[in-house]
Amino acid sequence: MPQIFDRSSNALARMSLVLTGLIVIALGVTLDQLQRSPWVTRQGQRPDQPVPFSHKHHVQGLGLQCQYCHTSVEKSSYAGIPPTRTCMNCHAQIWTNAQLLEPVRNSWYTGQSIPWIKVHDLPDFVYFNHEIHVNKGIGCETCHGKVDEMPLMYAQNTLQMEWCLNCHRNPAKNLRPTSEIYNMDWDQPGVDKPVWCAAVPNVDGVPTAESVSCTRTDPSGNPAAQASLKPEALFRPVSLTTGDAAQAAPQIPYEKFTSQDELGHYLLKHYNIRTPKDLMSCEVCHR
Amino acid sequence: MSSEMKKNEGGMAQISSPGAAPKQEPMTLDQVRLKLNGVRGKKFWRSLDELADTEEFRAAVEKEFPSAAQEWVDPVSRRGFLKLMGASMALAGLAGCTKQPDEPIYPYIKAPEDLVLGKPMYFASAHPFVTGAVPLLVKSSEFRPIKIDGNPEHKYNRGSSDPYTQGTLLDMYDPDRSQHAMYRGENRDWQEFAEEFRNKVASTKDGTGIYFLSSAITSPTLARQWSEVQKIYPKAKLVQYEPAIAGTFLASGLNVQYDLSAADVIVSLDADFLSSASYPGFHKLVRDYADRRKQPEMGMNRLYAVESMTTTTGLKAEHRLGLRASEIPSFAAALAAALGVPGVTAPGYGWTDDQQKFLAVLVKELKANAGKCAVIPGLYQDPSVAALAIAINAALGNTGKTVTVSSEPAIPLPSDQIGDLKALVSDMNAGKVDWLVILNANPIYDAPADLDFLSAFNKANIVAHLGSHVDETGQIAHWHIPSAHYLESWSDARAYDGTVSVVQPLIEPLYGGRSAHHVLQTLLDDPKISPYEAVRSTWKDAITKAAPGGDFEKGWRKVLHDGWIEGTTYAAASGAKLAIHGVPAPIAKDSIEVIFRPDPNIYDGRWNNVGWLQELPKPVVSLAWDNAAIVSGATLVKWGFEEDDIIEISVGNGRVKAPIIVAPGHPDNAITVYLGYGREFAGRVGSGQGFNAYLLRNTWAPFYAIGAQRKIEGKWGVAITKSHYQDHRVKSLLGQGKGDNSLEGDEAVSPAGSADGIGPRGIIRYATLDEFKANPNFAHEGYKTDTPPYDDSLFPNWTYNEPYAWAMSVDMNSCTGCNACIVSCYAENNIAVVGKQQVRIGRNMQWLRIDAYFEGDLAAPRAHFQPMACQHCENAPCEQVCPVGATVHTPEGLNVMVYNRCIGTRYCSNNCPYKVRRFNFLLYSDYETESLKLMRNPDVTVRSRGVMEKCSYCVQRIQEAKIEADKENRLVRDGEIVTACQQACPAQAITFGNKNDKESRVSKLRAQQRSYQLIADINTRPRTTYVAEVLNLNQELEVTPTEFAPAKG
Repeated sequence: MPQIFDRSSNALARMSLVLTGLIVIALGVTLDQLQRSPWVTRQGQRPDQPVPFSHKHHVQGLGLQCQYCHTSVEKSSYAGIPPTRTCMNCHAQIWTNAQLLEPVRNSWYTGQSIPWIKVHDLPDFVYFNHEIHVNKGIGCETCHGKVDEMPLMYAQNTLQMEWCLNCHRNPAKNLRPTSEIYNMDWDQPGVDKPVWCAAVPNVDGVPTAESVSCTRTDPSGNPAAQASLKPEALFRPVSLTTGDAAQAAPQIPYEKFTSQDELGHYLLKHYNIRTPKDLMSCEVCHR
Repeated sequence: MSSEMKKNEGGMAQISSPGAAPKQEPMTLDQVRLKLNGVRGKKFWRSLDELADTEEFRAAVEKEFPSAAQEWVDPVSRRGFLKLMGASMALAGLAGCTKQPDEPIYPYIKAPEDLVLGKPMYFASAHPFVTGAVPLLVKSSEFRPIKIDGNPEHKYNRGSSDPYTQGTLLDMYDPDRSQHAMYRGENRDWQEFAEEFRNKVASTKDGTGIYFLSSAITSPTLARQWSEVQKIYPKAKLVQYEPAIAGTFLASGLNVQYDLSAADVIVSLDADFLSSASYPGFHKLVRDYADRRKQPEMGMNRLYAVESMTTTTGLKAEHRLGLRASEIPSFAAALAAALGVPGVTAPGYGWTDDQQKFLAVLVKELKANAGKCAVIPGLYQDPSVAALAIAINAALGNTGKTVTVSSEPAIPLPSDQIGDLKALVSDMNAGKVDWLVILNANPIYDAPADLDFLSAFNKANIVAHLGSHVDETGQIAHWHIPSAHYLESWSDARAYDGTVSVVQPLIEPLYGGRSAHHVLQTLLDDPKISPYEAVRSTWKDAITKAAPGGDFEKGWRKVLHDGWIEGTTYAAASGAKLAIHGVPAPIAKDSIEVIFRPDPNIYDGRWNNVGWLQELPKPVVSLAWDNAAIVSGATLVKWGFEEDDIIEISVGNGRVKAPIIVAPGHPDNAITVYLGYGREFAGRVGSGQGFNAYLLRNTWAPFYAIGAQRKIEGKWGVAITKSHYQDHRVKSLLGQGKGDNSLEGDEAVSPAGSADGIGPRGIIRYATLDEFKANPNFAHEGYKTDTPPYDDSLFPNWTYNEPYAWAMSVDMNSCTGCNACIVSCYAENNIAVVGKQQVRIGRNMQWLRIDAYFEGDLAAPRAHFQPMACQHCENAPCEQVCPVGATVHTPEGLNVMVYNRCIGTRYCSNNCPYKVRRFNFLLYSDYETESLKLMRNPDVTVRSRGVMEKCSYCVQRIQEAKIEADKENRLVRDGEIVTACQQACPAQAITFGNKNDKESRVSKLRAQQRSYQLIADINTRPRTTYVAEVLNLNQELEVTPTEFAPAKG
């Protein structure tokens, strides 16, 4: 009885086995990549907004502070989208005839909201809270990117869970002094650009913003920098006083930091940041 | 007792029809009693089925969700299932890869100045209820009320609430509320009505032919407006008719307040003051009652209950005497006579020995505690009971100490409601009624049956109806005006102690509703005066007097902030005395007595369309979605019925068909029916549920009547949740083990009951006061169920050394089983309503349930109420079996559900010994209805199909408090986190806090010797602990409640 299959079939069979394996792996990799791709996450995409609002122009160009519009970022889970009135505060005076601003004026006269498209859109089962991040030393720029350089708003990061956890596992790598929260150009400390910080020894009951003070200029021999350590009342005396009776405000020693890791761990301690174990617990974001 | 048993056997013989397979014996009283007789010590049971251990019961508990399989027998739902499956299969693989649709943001045009989006605001208001206003603090998210709770600063309720009040939130967002003013079915404007009405009334000059029919007026401002209308139109008539209180002492103006904090002995004469707000002063009475039981070593009060329908008050009582409702006036008179109340003679009546003994004990106890006791009369009793109770309290010197009679009535316009309604009907029949304006009443549905209100109604020239729904009356009224909810309009009301609260609206009327204030104001000189201005002018003097510096505007702001007007409590009457009219003779023992009561959940029917309240298992009977003919076990057997059989009850000319169910301890030969069901036009939830008991209620017998019953073929299909969540698979499926994986009653046994080899698990642990004093550690002795040694686990131990370790303590002595916590949980946690059929197969979604463990004789039981929610075990069995890590532990000891991870295997629920997990078998949450979207708590996920859920210890509140504390660099303070159930509880039975803080209240409660854990022997280490009960029994009456069987009919 003749062979039905030629000898070459063996090779074909082996090849198809290998191919099948490869296809399965390729499919897995594709799905995995797809799931993380901007197509799904919308990272970097600029949706069509009713008004092509430029953060770059308003922040970099005009120097508006974030909270002028996002008023509740320090006190609520929502940062807040400005009401039409905030736009009209200025645009009732300037660019009053600009075609681009027609939807704003329209909203003002008709009482209908401007229908913005959400750029940073978390799934509905995620409960993100702005206030705790902002109060504990996570800058706007850490998550939203350099908004002051975005003519049209887009999401700098994926906002996927792995991205969140990346920081929650080790918050130290992103912490900055709360005074620098709204600073779009904050550089992490390095050997050539150190940061000096001083902290109240006992932070219990003292809000973070008042318990730590940092500066980029060397405070030794710089009375102006030292004076920025405020408010004095909250600072309890520490045992470095050299008997200088003339100095009314107690002195807090400054420490110098030359890497983000050092600064981060210092802030972790003084900002009373929860442990990674606690930060990664499910109920922190899902309930 | 033996003759009684023989009689029952006779009853048995009648029903076991020849040919019927004898495998399913109906539950018999004999078997039950034999079972109970054989047992020494404490023996508990959860339901009659369990007691009788029927095949059905065994079959049901074998399945985790009872009868879950039945659904697939039905071809239609099977097809529906396949269709759903097909769709979900198609989506299953893709769901993770689809991208979210674009979501718009709609910012404000002008942001309200005081609004911080994402931070709730709280406003003081009040729920104007007929038994007394409930002062409220309402949580408002973006100006939408999303949670109603008691006002914690108010002296009356101190933050507690009740099921009704909690349910009013859903009532406001009810999508079936009427949305347009209508004239003969056409949409009209309120203005058109107002003008027509005003002109019409003005044309009568003196108001002849103008009639108002209103529910009982609770607002002093409305009463003032009415008196002003009367001045202009003296012949206009106002009839108040509130079906639940018509004929009671409350309607006629008697106003009594009790101070139970000073009462050592409390006697209830058919007063159900512990189970719901249908009794005046519920919140305060419960708290004062419970306060005297929290530290037994400091002394306790003792509660005696004489009652007809079994209520939680009776089941909580140290000693309970079940009497037929018609016997209670005579019993009260006998008690008064024995206590030497002048002018009262004991009516001759054949009391049984037990009853006489109970009476004698009561007399002795009351005399011994004169001046520090209280006798509380039932609201749904002949007014003579209230008069007698006042006389008894006066004779004992309680007046002024534990009892205060006020000179002002509790409702502003007391009247003879039934008499007035009769007069209205005869005027209508005589053609005297030109305009009938119905204010928030529904007489077509709930007027007494003998009045034939409908035919009289048709003789009125024009009928206008102000109502929240186009209900039975709204359907046939000429004009219909949508009524504003109390959360939508200004009004005022007085609490139990008389303190006036301003009813402050939380939201603009959703459907342009108007209130009764608007209607009356249209007739006055200036019809443009709004309810807001009307309320302000009513209290101008009182507020100005109480205001700092006599500045009214400042005072008004303070009133709105605080929620009450200072100095408005009722004045006490001096030497108040009530004439005691004749005491009605009891109904003959051999005739059937029908007892009417407002429903414990939906009251008189007004909350029929509130799903939360419909789905709430009623106290004692655990019945949801229906009312029923409630009888005693002996009566059921005597009549030859099984539970769920349909009977026809007739009273006078009225006939209704009703399912029959048993309430342990119910008097024999009597049927209790709850009012409020059988609505035709209640809405999508309530229409068609239950039967209309108003058809049996006549003007001559508002509380109880002689009736008759006969059997109708068929079964009704009631939804009773008693046997749900019990499970003894180990015992019945494997034929081995001790059945000790469950919460059955027989596992609740105490040490002495371990003879049968099952226990002792001690789910319920209690002692008498003497036993407790002799052995304060009673809750831990003789039970095998205390936590095993710490290392006794396969899993590595976790040390909870975070700053926080959340824990809960439940005081079994305080819990009265009133259900307020459950409804509060509904609102806080966006819990879905599933409907009757789903409840029947055990799928209700309540995260918290109250297990009632009955004890003792079926005819005279005691019950122990145990709130049961997720125990947050440190060694949680559910977590170990979840294949996807959807239920995990947090470092602070919470057992959390991660909904977005859950794939619905239900292994966790299977492995949960407490049966506290709830599964979304279908898409129960309503994602479509617009008005319900406004109601949801934005901090809690609305769960979809296929997801497991359970109590989270209100994790959203924990997170909120932690963030607040973190911002201030401090720890969360004790008492900063209040769970929804804890907040609602009038008895303050629930305490939540941080057990790692040794100074916290919960730590102290856990450290009490009486504190114990449930089923801890399997090493679950639950975070919820229970404080064991201590009963202050009177040794003169039997300790085990077996002998006070009610009168046998």
